[in-house]
Amino acid sequence: MKFRIFRYKQGDPGPHYDIFEVGEVPGMTVLAALTTIQEQQDPGLSFRSSCRGAVCGACAMLINKVPRLACRTQVRDLINEKDRVHLSPYPALEITTPWDQATEVLVEPLPHLPVLKDLVVDMKAFFDFLHTIDPVFHPGKPFPDKEYVVAQDAVKRLEQYTNCVLCGACFGACPVNSRNPDYPGPAALATLYRFHIDPRERDPGLRVLAADSGSGWWACEFHTNCTRVCPKGVTPSVAIGRARSELKKMKEKPGRLTQDN
Amino acid sequence: MAVQPETSHSVAGSPDMYRHELVIIGGGLAGLRAAYDAVSAGTDVAVISKVHPLRSHSVAAQGGINAALGNADTTTHDSWESHAFDTVKGSDYLADQDAVARMCREAPSAVIELEHMGTVFSRDETGRIAQRPFGGAGYPRTCYAADRTGHNLLHTLYQQVSAKGVRFYEEYFVTSLVTSGGSCTGCTALCIPDGRIAGFLAKATLLATGGFGRIYERSTNALINTGDGLHLALEVSVPLKDMEFVQFHPTSLYGTNILITEGARGEGAVLLNKDGERFMKNYAPGAVELAPRDVVARAIETEIREGRGSPGGYVHLDLTSLGEPLINDRLPGIRQITLDFAGIDPVTSPVPVQPGQHYSMGGVDVDISGRTRLPGLYAAGECACVSVHGANRLGGNSLLDTLVFGKITAGTIIGDLQHIEPGKLSVIRNAVLKETSRIKGLSGNEPGEDIYQIRDALKKTMMDNFGVYRDGPSMETGLIEILALKDRLRQARVPRMQAEFNLPLVHFLEITGMVNIAETVARCAIARKESRGSHARRDFPVRDDEHFLHHSIAVQAGDGSINLLASPVNLGMFPVKERAY
Repeated sequence: MKFRIFRYKQGDPGPHYDIFEVGEVPGMTVLAALTTIQEQQDPGLSFRSSCRGAVCGACAMLINKVPRLACRTQVRDLINEKDRVHLSPYPALEITTPWDQATEVLVEPLPHLPVLKDLVVDMKAFFDFLHTIDPVFHPGKPFPDKEYVVAQDAVKRLEQYTNCVLCGACFGACPVNSRNPDYPGPAALATLYRFHIDPRERDPGLRVLAADSGSGWWACEFHTNCTRVCPKGVTPSVAIGRARSELKKMKEKPGRLTQDN
Repeated sequence: MAVQPETSHSVAGSPDMYRHELVIIGGGLAGLRAAYDAVSAGTDVAVISKVHPLRSHSVAAQGGINAALGNADTTTHDSWESHAFDTVKGSDYLADQDAVARMCREAPSAVIELEHMGTVFSRDETGRIAQRPFGGAGYPRTCYAADRTGHNLLHTLYQQVSAKGVRFYEEYFVTSLVTSGGSCTGCTALCIPDGRIAGFLAKATLLATGGFGRIYERSTNALINTGDGLHLALEVSVPLKDMEFVQFHPTSLYGTNILITEGARGEGAVLLNKDGERFMKNYAPGAVELAPRDVVARAIETEIREGRGSPGGYVHLDLTSLGEPLINDRLPGIRQITLDFAGIDPVTSPVPVQPGQHYSMGGVDVDISGRTRLPGLYAAGECACVSVHGANRLGGNSLLDTLVFGKITAGTIIGDLQHIEPGKLSVIRNAVLKETSRIKGLSGNEPGEDIYQIRDALKKTMMDNFGVYRDGPSMETGLIEILALKDRLRQARVPRMQAEFNLPLVHFLEITGMVNIAETVARCAIARKESRGSHARRDFPVRDDEHFLHHSIAVQAGDGSINLLASPVNLGMFPVKERAY
């Protein structure tokens, strides 16, 4: 089968696409195909990978115009792909190359981040946004002698967000991130919400305030592309919706803020 | 002391020169746990990693971390002594018992510390950290976060050390350790994004580079687990220890060899051969599926060799009796993996599994404080060998090793820094020049040997001759093949291309180390004429305490040859006994 791959390196006047043909083997993933191409056809092809088991988040890229992990994506489903995730449109989804969907898989770098080379993007902006929300546990003190006692259902709610692998697929899928350079994006906000609902926090229920601005929770337009592309089943759009309704309630009853302090 | 005050870690006038008190090579759990304590003590810490730290293989650890918290106790009580006994017995009595005692005593606080940093562990009905049974353990002692324990721990530590101001050098591949006056004074590294060689001056250097599983054809390890730190140590004649002891996990997914956690068996999954027989009762009547990994891996291998496996070489791990709610609650990642990578739903169908390389018990020889034999150089985690795992590691003890010895080694370094004089910048500068020219010399346009063919041949040789079962003649053949591959690699060249993200160059450097490491595995395995833990020889099927109750030490001499020595095992707490389950 054929792979139409985005190519760019520093000094090039602009990007172009190369087409490679790879013999399909059962169970082949896009990552395995890229590895075969790099090792056997074009050693200069650059991409990131590590775990090859969909747990580390290194290999997020745009495959057939859907941000996803290359290691988790089986190639057999990609020709004339029928069950492709439907996404709200944004510029990177526009087709700018003569892509024949009946014979080719289209592989491009993750949108909304600068391309360093081929499929490798600079994740700095993504991680900088993460650090702006102060993604650190603020413990309620004094520490208990042993572990904090936490109810099982609270753990279930936390897991909904701690499962994030910070691959950036949601960031590359978000129409708001395509045009708002101040929006931290779905992963950062979901991480903030994870701390917000942690019952062990010093000020549980208040960390939501950290993104109470026009470029924070309120910038989201609920396209829900983030939730649809997340390879780990995380639901940033749900976190954002809950954060907004909690903030509304707080503002309706301002006393609550001081009460919880 | 440096006279000139430093406003940043960069050295004036030298864009690719950096200085830090402590340089940690590797951003997984051991490296970040050490970084946490060091930076908290006011040490200036840098972490160099060939990938973003969150892509380190620690993130893939599934089943859990052992600590005698006693949360699952009913009528009897767990203790650190029980944990230590299980660990020593699991190691086939090759672990150093003083080190095991220390690790098991500090296990509860190691887990609680991470919980207090924010790690979300699974809970029991009372809200305490949940604990599940694991192989070779006398109590349900394994604390877990569903089947994503490593992920939760690594993300927590990454958040903490980022907030504390540890400096990360991401996508830097360390190419050499720099020594001067009998000490390690830093390292050189290839900056993968721009292809330049950078120099790092450090009072202390900590190797935390993880295991070398990728020298095997079938491995649960991440693609990045190429044992880089062990190669760096070999090159400066720092000894490696117990390299013959390579763990095969009994249940890697047939086809991709992605890990299926021991936690599945801990929760009640059973192993079935092609006749549907629960064969483990024939090998370990007491512990059955929860015997230690070496025992279960050998049982599966035997079933397959004797024709009771399925075509292609696998058996089935049957989780169907666990029920959908429990699988979704405690093993959600496993369900996702089997669906994604094998198209199988474990709720309704048994999962095809086979043994796959999983862990390196051996590593850089360190003492109980984390010091190597080279002043200024330390090691912790899977790349180190204290030894707490001996000839076979128990499931749930590797995450524990990273946290406990990451912390212990940080403490050692913080103390040592008081009296280490900084090395000379000029020595690092010269090393950068030397490495720049060496690495330039690796590129060429003339057609030579293909590095990927050499790597694949190495993986096959290791799998065929140094796998679950071994014997003398086949290992001798394997060693000859490894040495031939080493020769072929000298004829190989990296194609000339752009400097940025030059993957063939990184792979070349990795494969050079892999071949070297493979040779030490081979030589140690050939020399150990007994069967102990993971080292199972058909020609010497019995443990021989009289001649082999010692650690193997492998040192690379100046001419590149490997010399073997022995060092004693620290016994004392538990008498050496026959090991049965």
